[in-house]
Amino acid sequence: MSSPSPALQQQVTLVELVDRVLNKGVALTGDITLSVAGVDLVYVGLRLLLASVSTLEQLDAE
Amino acid sequence: MTAADALYVYGVVRSDTPADVFAGVEGMDDGPVRLVGADGVAAIASSVPLAEFDTDVLELNLKDGAWLEQKVQAHNRVLAAAVRKATVLPLRFGAIYRGEDHVRTMLGERPELEAQLARLEGLLEFGVKAMLDSEVLRTRLEESRGVEADEGSGRAYMLRKGLARELDEEVRAFAATCAEASHERLAAVAVDARVNPAQSPEMLLNGAYLVEAGREDALRRTVDELNKQFRPDGVAYEVTGPWPPYNFAGEESEG
Repeated sequence: MSSPSPALQQQVTLVELVDRVLNKGVALTGDITLSVAGVDLVYVGLRLLLASVSTLEQLDAE
Repeated sequence: MTAADALYVYGVVRSDTPADVFAGVEGMDDGPVRLVGADGVAAIASSVPLAEFDTDVLELNLKDGAWLEQKVQAHNRVLAAAVRKATVLPLRFGAIYRGEDHVRTMLGERPELEAQLARLEGLLEFGVKAMLDSEVLRTRLEESRGVEADEGSGRAYMLRKGLARELDEEVRAFAATCAEASHERLAAVAVDARVNPAQSPEMLLNGAYLVEAGREDALRRTVDELNKQFRPDGVAYEVTGPWPPYNFAGEESEG
């Protein structure tokens, strides 16, 4: 396994961070926006991040 | 704070937490972080412009990868400032309140927050990921079978094809066994543990471990041992953390 490029490593760490911040932690009710931040829309943003990771992976593989 | 501002809440600490734990830490939009205290617990908060976080705008912003990345980094930066200094209960991204009174009302309605905090005292979260290079494993499995390389006959072709299928099966079985054994050994040095879904096909294990501050070395030693034991099979382990205890803040344990 070749060691990943620093940029890819950063992106991978970012995915781990995004997963924790968006999907874990205590979800409180009564927040103005929580229902919005809850699932689908955040998922869209997350997919964008993941897409940029796979792009980097492809570049890295070449 | 003006009428155009809202309070973003990152997490909760005990109300006797020294405010200087968060001194100099920049919150979202570089706002200073402050503690909004109630009975027993305090919210870690900073002002954010409603123009960015109001419901209709937020929907658009959340689809903007760059915006989201910036905010997620800020959310973690604030909570990470407390790691090893104070016990934090991380809130999920996006907890927005109209002002301090609103935050105090929320804290007052959630008496269980204090108990949840107490449960996390003196504990650190670490992530451990195991990645499998299945080519390395296949080569090793082939070698251990003493596979004969090239015979041109149709029969040899059929044998190779059957063998490839058997090897696929062996790789899958190894991955499952190795993941389970690894998690078991890591969980043994932890107070609590979670297995999260793999983020890629190569990922054998995506675990989170809640460890006593004094047992951090024991966890790292276990990872070193696992690395030594399974490296010849193509497995590499990586530790991240200490993190704020994101994976152990909520009640739910997703599989």
